[in-house]
Amino acid sequence: MLDKMLYNTILSQTYSPCGKYLVAGNIYGQLAVFDLVNIFNPVVEQITSDFNKPKHIHLLESESQICSLVTTDKFLIAGTVNEISGWDWKAILSSKLTKPSWTIKIQPQSLIEKCDINCLWYKKDEGKLYAGCGDNKIYAYNLEDGSLVSTYEGHSDFVHCLHSNGQQLISAGEDGLVLLWDLRVKKSYNKIEPHTNSKIARPDIGKWVGAAALGDDWIVCGGGPRLSLWHLRSLDAVTVFDIPDHGIHVSFFQDDCVFAGGAAKHLYQLSYSGDVRVELPVSATTVYSAVYRTSPHKVLAIAGSSPEIDICTSFNYRDQVLHFR
Amino acid sequence: MGKDDVSTKKRRKLNTTSSENTKQSPTDIYKRVIEFEETEAQLRSAEKDSALFKKICHDVRQLFADIAELKAKGTDEAKEKITAKRIEASLHLVALKKLNRLEKVRTRAGRDALHKEKQRVDSTHLLLQNLLYEADHLNKEVTKCLQFKSKDEEIELISMEEFYKDAPIEISRPEITKTDEHQLQLARLEWELRQRRELAGACSELVASKERVAAAIAAARSRLDALAPHLKDVLKATKPLQECLALRLDEKRDETRAATLLSPPLFLLYANANAYSDALGSKNVSVGISGDEDEARRLDQLSNVESELVVSNDSDSDQENNDEDQRDSKKKRHHRSSKISKEEKAEAKKKEVLKKHPLNVQVTITNSDGTALNLIFSYMIHLKIVVVKFTMNFPKPITGVSAADVLNGDCVLNELYVGDTGNDSPHPATAYLLKAAGISENFPHFISEVGKPYIWAQRMCGLDFMAVSVDTQKCNKNFLPCQSLSVASVENFIFTLKRRLKARIDLMKELQDLECGKVLPAKGLLCPVRLSGSLTQWQTVSWNEYSHALSTSFVISEGLVTPDNMLYRAIITRQSAKLVAMVAVSSDYPKQAPIFSLTLHWNGTHHAGTSDDIRDIERVINTNWQNTEKRLCTLSTQMMKLLTCLDVLLETMGSSEFPPDKVMLQSIRGRNRMKPYKYLKQGTGIFVQN
Repeated sequence: MLDKMLYNTILSQTYSPCGKYLVAGNIYGQLAVFDLVNIFNPVVEQITSDFNKPKHIHLLESESQICSLVTTDKFLIAGTVNEISGWDWKAILSSKLTKPSWTIKIQPQSLIEKCDINCLWYKKDEGKLYAGCGDNKIYAYNLEDGSLVSTYEGHSDFVHCLHSNGQQLISAGEDGLVLLWDLRVKKSYNKIEPHTNSKIARPDIGKWVGAAALGDDWIVCGGGPRLSLWHLRSLDAVTVFDIPDHGIHVSFFQDDCVFAGGAAKHLYQLSYSGDVRVELPVSATTVYSAVYRTSPHKVLAIAGSSPEIDICTSFNYRDQVLHFR
Repeated sequence: MGKDDVSTKKRRKLNTTSSENTKQSPTDIYKRVIEFEETEAQLRSAEKDSALFKKICHDVRQLFADIAELKAKGTDEAKEKITAKRIEASLHLVALKKLNRLEKVRTRAGRDALHKEKQRVDSTHLLLQNLLYEADHLNKEVTKCLQFKSKDEEIELISMEEFYKDAPIEISRPEITKTDEHQLQLARLEWELRQRRELAGACSELVASKERVAAAIAAARSRLDALAPHLKDVLKATKPLQECLALRLDEKRDETRAATLLSPPLFLLYANANAYSDALGSKNVSVGISGDEDEARRLDQLSNVESELVVSNDSDSDQENNDEDQRDSKKKRHHRSSKISKEEKAEAKKKEVLKKHPLNVQVTITNSDGTALNLIFSYMIHLKIVVVKFTMNFPKPITGVSAADVLNGDCVLNELYVGDTGNDSPHPATAYLLKAAGISENFPHFISEVGKPYIWAQRMCGLDFMAVSVDTQKCNKNFLPCQSLSVASVENFIFTLKRRLKARIDLMKELQDLECGKVLPAKGLLCPVRLSGSLTQWQTVSWNEYSHALSTSFVISEGLVTPDNMLYRAIITRQSAKLVAMVAVSSDYPKQAPIFSLTLHWNGTHHAGTSDDIRDIERVINTNWQNTEKRLCTLSTQMMKLLTCLDVLLETMGSSEFPPDKVMLQSIRGRNRMKPYKYLKQGTGIFVQN
């Protein structure tokens, strides 16, 4: 009988509002809190062998997998199975986790069926939380009172990813669709189907789209189909990135670059024209989460199906490895 | 004119004396003259003579001057006068001569007197010296006397108080002794003498009584000796009766006798194991002693003699080695005629160091189905450790290669306790002892020859080397085996080994099935209806092969699998898909579940390092055991699960080659696109994600 932590898979990460802590959630329903200040500036005299281990590991009551995490000024919001919970940041940083400050339940269609909250997006100016869920829908909640504001339906399978640039929302799903939403309308106004493009499709991996991100003029998406860059207005595939992956789970825009990761040995930084700028080696078999932050540290944390979290401060090479076990 | 008077007088005087002398002894006139002159010289004073001498000299000079003056005149008168004066001067010269002679005599007399005086002083001085010497000598004698020590001072006497208290009044005589110290001493000595005499008498009496008792003992002993043949006869007489009643009394007696000859650690083992054999019945555990009893007896005597020798010098094993060397060399001297080559010598030395006690203990542990493990414990005399050899007995032959390996003695005993591989001596001093004996190989080199020095074997014999290494100096010489340790270890060992044997027999059966390609689930496990994959190969692999597989690097780097595990390769096929599972079974199976590392060959090669699906299956098989399943987590159950997971994985791939056959609620769930590996028994049975 092996320790299940050897097969730990981290699905989500986020930073605390102050940027001093990194929180990671895994499939066993555990939240690990890493003290980044201590990790980046260790006091040499007090350094111990477990300095790169979590400061705390909290086990959620439900013990269901933590699919998504998002930070607001006050709360850490975790999307698990069938529910979204919010904790005060103080509770997270204390050594024992109390009950969540609030909980939003999402009722699945049948009792056996379960609804993962695969993706959370917090829109700060409106105080709204968007949740991409396992029941093919996207929900918008008002965080003031926890009321369901609107439901967006359009996907025919579970939603992998949500992203927004302010006015528009983009979602990617297992059904192979990338949908574009106007937040005021309940129906999607446009869609991309990457698996129908022969240059992009990879039928042996699947048609699912694991990640999509919205830039000012560009969309990047990938999954079973290759990672590709689309023009927002014309919805043409401009660039098809040629990287050796077996499925994309993470992609986003940063510093005029496309960051992408998934079932590959590296996390890639690519130019819009398709050149590979940086290949970051990663510990995880599949990368499920890559989060960056520029203040107070410039830091990129990469996690996935591994107990290890890779930390880069320069975005160019792997600085440190944190152990979530 | 005055002068003339004097001179005449003198002359006269002189003349008279001389005439007297001549008259008295005319024959010896010369002598008389001398005597006379000597007396005269004595009588006359030297000062007066000196004055007379000066006056005569002056007169003579005056005469000479007168003569010279008269000569100058040259007259006759003068000539006459000169003649007169000449005569006068001659007389004066005679007087001078006389004075001179007197003076001479006087000087000689003075010298003689001086000499005489000197001699007297000398003799007096000598006398003084003699007296001084004598005085000195006497002084010395006195001090010698003062320093003289009497013999009685050396005798320890009882104190004064005790003396006055104990001694009878006729000896102590206080009225005298209180005042006279010498008498007191004498009295005390007398008392001492009397007491000593009494004690000597008592002593001789006791010696006599002791001799009497010794004689009585000897007599009793001889009677006892005479009893032995009688008893033997009686025993002989009981034999037919014993046989008749099927009692094993004699055999047991023999074994107990042999047991006394065992080395102390093995004796402990024998005693404790025997007790358990009695308690559990000889069907489960049986104990015996084998080996050369006579040799053991000889060794026992030898060691007794040796221990007496060794006690005096504080020696350790090093010393013993030296002794051996000496003994060896002595032996060799005897056989000098047959020349022994160097290699043979080394060989003999090696044999000596690795020498085992001639008696060993055999413990046989039998399982309920008749499988028996026969362990032979031997004690290495010089290395002071216990080594174990073993054989297995099976009631029926085992089919299958890998299955047979599982029940190989080596494998059964491997890591019976955590970390105890028996591959090196547990005694910290072994390496040193070997080196001291000039053997370059280390102990593991000899293990195949002598047997394995498992730690449990040492503990069963009450040897605890942890304690020795902590406190080497104290215990090195002859640490005694610890009884309580042996008692606890024997019990623990017997039950651990029985459990291990049972587990191994179960595993062997499972492996037999697996080798035939049969995967039978343990009873009571939830099991889906149809399994499409089939086990096509099951075989043992070497560590080399195992470690070179792509999928195993993770478990090896985590230290979960070591070369001590039993390693297998299973190949499962379903149509074009081929799953290779590297299986590591720990010695502690089934306490520790086997570890599976998978590689899937379908649409490329996938393993946990490249594919999350494979990693998920590994997670399910290696870790996901609910409490109810824990006790059933056998190899076959895991294989069953593996087959199920493979089916689930292939059927969710969406390939037409593998049509979905199982009921799945959601074939893929979550961002990690998890497949439903978990089986729920609802209705016909459905598969869900965790």
